Amino acid sequence: MDIGILRRDGRTDPFFDGAAGGRLVIRRCAACDRWLAPDAGGCPDCGSDDLAWAEASGEAALVTWTVLHGRPADDGTVPPPVRLALVELAEGPWLHARLTDVDPERLREGLPLRAVFRHPPEGESYVLFEPR
Amino acid sequence: MTGSTAGAAIAGLGMTELGKVYGRSPRRLAADAVRRAVADAGLSLADLDGLLVSHGTSGSPGVELAAALGLRDLRLLTQMNAFGATAGAMVAYAAMSVLSGAASTVACVFADAPLRPRRSAGSAYQRDAAEWYGYGGMTAALGFRSVNAFYALAARRHMLRYGTTSEQLGAIAVSTRQWAARNPLAQMREPITLADHQNSRWVAEPLHLLDCCLVSNGAVAVVVTGADRARDLAQPPVHLWGWGQGHPGHRRERGSDFGLTTGAAVSGPIAMKMAGVSVDDIDVCQIYDCYTYTVLVSLEDYGFCPKGEGGPFVASGVLGPGGALPTNTGGGQLSGYYMWGMTPLSEAVIQARGHGGDRQVPRNDVILVSGNGGVLDHHSTLIVSPHPKGA
Repeated sequence: MDIGILRRDGRTDPFFDGAAGGRLVIRRCAACDRWLAPDAGGCPDCGSDDLAWAEASGEAALVTWTVLHGRPADDGTVPPPVRLALVELAEGPWLHARLTDVDPERLREGLPLRAVFRHPPEGESYVLFEPR
Repeated sequence: MTGSTAGAAIAGLGMTELGKVYGRSPRRLAADAVRRAVADAGLSLADLDGLLVSHGTSGSPGVELAAALGLRDLRLLTQMNAFGATAGAMVAYAAMSVLSGAASTVACVFADAPLRPRRSAGSAYQRDAAEWYGYGGMTAALGFRSVNAFYALAARRHMLRYGTTSEQLGAIAVSTRQWAARNPLAQMREPITLADHQNSRWVAEPLHLLDCCLVSNGAVAVVVTGADRARDLAQPPVHLWGWGQGHPGHRRERGSDFGLTTGAAVSGPIAMKMAGVSVDDIDVCQIYDCYTYTVLVSLEDYGFCPKGEGGPFVASGVLGPGGALPTNTGGGQLSGYYMWGMTPLSEAVIQARGHGGDRQVPRNDVILVSGNGGVLDHHSTLIVSPHPKGA
């Protein structure tokens, strides 16, 4: 699956600043300290919408996964499958993520993962997760 | 104006041609379905004093449908959206309006036209772009471009927790196709075997192609009115005994029940209590089946089997023709037609009227209709019956 080019949207720029520097930057509620995903709009616990940005450890565990298969082309060729997952960050939030460098036989609930970053020649950096 | 004291009922059902239906806009399809529903009831458009509108991916129609139909002096008009739970929510709102006297005769319609000629059904529900914006855009770029991946994550989680298998999901695909084979309205009527299910290509593991619903163009409408009035109209009334909604708001964080439970665990008991029935009284189920897995987890949450035992339950053959709990008797969304929440609702109306032909179930006294929207985010439940409530 061709990723295409990633651009900033003005709302999640600190995440991309972090990714460019190899750091996983997510949201953290300024009022109650709860960690949240980078696209969280408010704190579901205390209701505050005052969310700071903070650097997470990058450590995670596998919750559930899928192997996404592209539709076969007219000539019968099939695009390479993509491994997608819900990962649970050590700080608690779940992220929808793509896995990389993972042996399919090793996939299991709780598999320890770490964030790794890719820096394409054009557009923003992005995060993947690999076994640790 | 006083409301109906005899309860509310569905008096009309209108369906356009469904499937690869091209050349008509969603608004035109919706208008056609409303006209058919009104005619089916033995009414005219001028009898409507309420219209509830919902749409699918096309983003149309909205409340302008009333003007397109030439409706005047409506007392109730709005667009509603809880995705796949909308049909049940619309019917409940229409019923409450009839009971309160806010309106007397309300049409509820859904229309969509995502299919285009020479374009795959799957691409109709998939985002694609050369450039993606922000964190959400990154998630889509990395592969979360259609709902398939999200439901696959949910199904896998159920498998990990409860040992549910792909073969058990396949039993739902097979039984649903058995029903579709008996329904002339169904898009896919060729019988399939469990082996066909297992051999169908992967879409998003653990979901095979035959775990996934169809994509359809078309529109479906119903007319809701007072039960006393419905009795004197053209069709046997389908009485609305109970309704409920459930929106669990699963959090995306440690401890979440995502994939394990749905809003049916809330909407079901509310609707059944209002109807004065228990799960043991349900004769037939029409359950939103965007994926086979959705049926399995919904059946658990309604209480037809204990949590986690949905796999063995569906594999026992209970859902198919001749089974103890006939489910998705028109072929559902997997094999029939994909009109979001109108798929289960329309088949419930047909079964309650006794108009099911080759697929008519022998016992139709209490029918459960289940809608599911988002990724297990929104549930609606209706309990309907050929009999007046409390009779």
